[in-house]
Amino acid sequence: MAPTIRTEHLSVSYHRTPVLHQISLEAAGGEVLALIGPSGCGKSTFLRALNRLVEETPGARVEGRVYLGNMNIYAPSVDVTQLRRRVGMVFQAPNPFPFSIFDNVAYGPRLHGVTDAGELRRIVERSLQEAALWDEVRGKLRRPALTLSGGQQQRLCIARALAVDPEVLLLDEPTAALDPLSTEKIEELIANLRGRYTIVMVTHNLRQAARISDRTAFFAEGRLVEVGWTRQMFTAPQDPRTEQYLTGRYQP
Amino acid sequence: MRDQQREKVIQSVTWGLGGIFVLLGFGLMAMVLVGAWPTLAEPHALARLLSPTWDPMRDQWGLLPFLLGTAVVTCLALAIVVPLALATGISISRMLPWSLRPQAVRLLAALTAIPSVVFGWWGLETVVPAVRILGGQAGFSLLAAAIVLALMLWPTLGFLFAEALMKVPRSYVEASAALGASDDQTLVRILIPSAWPQLMNAFLVAVARGLGETVAVQMVIGGQVAMPAGLLSPGATLTTQLLTDATLFPPGTRGHAALDAMALALLAAMGLLVRLSARWQGQP
Ligand SMILES: Nc1ncnc2c1ncn2[C@@H]1O[C@H](COP(=O)(O)OP(=O)(O)OP(=O)(O)O)[C@@H](O)[C@H]1O
Ligand SMILES: [Mg+2]
Repeated sequence: MAPTIRTEHLSVSYHRTPVLHQISLEAAGGEVLALIGPSGCGKSTFLRALNRLVEETPGARVEGRVYLGNMNIYAPSVDVTQLRRRVGMVFQAPNPFPFSIFDNVAYGPRLHGVTDAGELRRIVERSLQEAALWDEVRGKLRRPALTLSGGQQQRLCIARALAVDPEVLLLDEPTAALDPLSTEKIEELIANLRGRYTIVMVTHNLRQAARISDRTAFFAEGRLVEVGWTRQMFTAPQDPRTEQYLTGRYQP
Repeated sequence: MRDQQREKVIQSVTWGLGGIFVLLGFGLMAMVLVGAWPTLAEPHALARLLSPTWDPMRDQWGLLPFLLGTAVVTCLALAIVVPLALATGISISRMLPWSLRPQAVRLLAALTAIPSVVFGWWGLETVVPAVRILGGQAGFSLLAAAIVLALMLWPTLGFLFAEALMKVPRSYVEASAALGASDDQTLVRILIPSAWPQLMNAFLVAVARGLGETVAVQMVIGGQVAMPAGLLSPGATLTTQLLTDATLFPPGTRGHAALDAMALALLAAMGLLVRLSARWQGQP
């Protein structure tokens, strides 16, 4: 069963400039939570705080707590590499490594000690199938990943994240760089992953949020303005700012 | 109209300069080849050039001591400097606090500008006596030359390694970290493989500088033309011997042709390096 991921008074600053203020938000086990909001409001920062990737950014400082299940991921005893194994991430721009398709997907399992060739092959095949890419690349696994199309590269990145058996998936505008057809494929894929993984997804595409998320959170200027069931939020937002944003009239 | 004319002028000047450059290059090679021809055209040319005896008084022009000296000094220097420079490049590009990295790179770049004669002078004062104390011989030796050369190459190679590692896209590093890689794993599995062509090129630049370095090596190698007996014995390299004998043999003499053959050997080695670097860049 996929775990919940929950923040309590999460604040993040870069070089002492606060960009997230006291965010308390929860994604329930197995649901798809969409994050929407104007550019620069801190959605990516929020996502990167959930796997502690924000710590790789120079000058970043995190306060507050984040719980994966009932583990506080910022506790000193937490092993970051283990945490990131459980919380996978897919970035806005497809970023496959300059290796073969196979080596991209096998990268995570190899990191974590899988060396058996047969097992690696099984993991790679399963992950590519789960990411709906298998049919397009079977028999071509030795080709460089960078020869794939943008949409295929993004699904490869999803497969690469799935290969380490995560429980949570963080998706940062996964379709921002893709054409409508590839976007549709990825949306379908997310719908299929729903339930097995807890998914937190940033998107600028409001219709996409409406189509595939269970709940939606609206961020503005580093604050969580409103969170609720997607259908409810899109038909009857509580906060005037949310309504302005949804109707394209939001002014910061 | 005027713009077009100006463009034409600029274009012809560019072509002209390019042409001069190519002519100079080929002219130089042709000169060396013609100069070396007497040694190449005689019977058993290769055997005589590769003989271990260099004795102008007896008309013996074997280049083996210098070929060996160049090979040993360069290889040993590289064996010393590559790990040092790699450590430097990694510390600067990965471990140093972000705010200090640009300064560190600038410092290295400044160190690359130290003239080689300074390294030679410093080697004369410290490395040679140290080798003398540790090795019990004169101190002027292949080993001293290799150490001085290694120290001279360190800033350059460290700088180039750091640059190569810093050029790896951040998105690769983040993707690797997001999959649960430790910093070391990201270094070994992502940074070094994706920077490999640039790292190799940096290495070849160091090889080229090592092969070509003359003054610093000359100051500490001892300048002996006999076959070196070991790392602690004095010796000479192709470049140092060229420097020593350049004014000794006037054009047209047999010795001059032998020097041209040495220059030719150096040019051939450089040509090989250029070929290798093209291959590592993935070009045919
Ligand atoms: N590495 C960084 N250093 C300093 N400031 C940063 C850094 N990354 C982001 N910021 C700032 O933090 C704020 C939030 O950025 P973030 O990338 O989280 O926004 P976002 O909501 O994801 O925007 P977008 O929708 O454009 O992707 C912005 O004001 C941005 O300028
Ligand atoms: Mg963003």
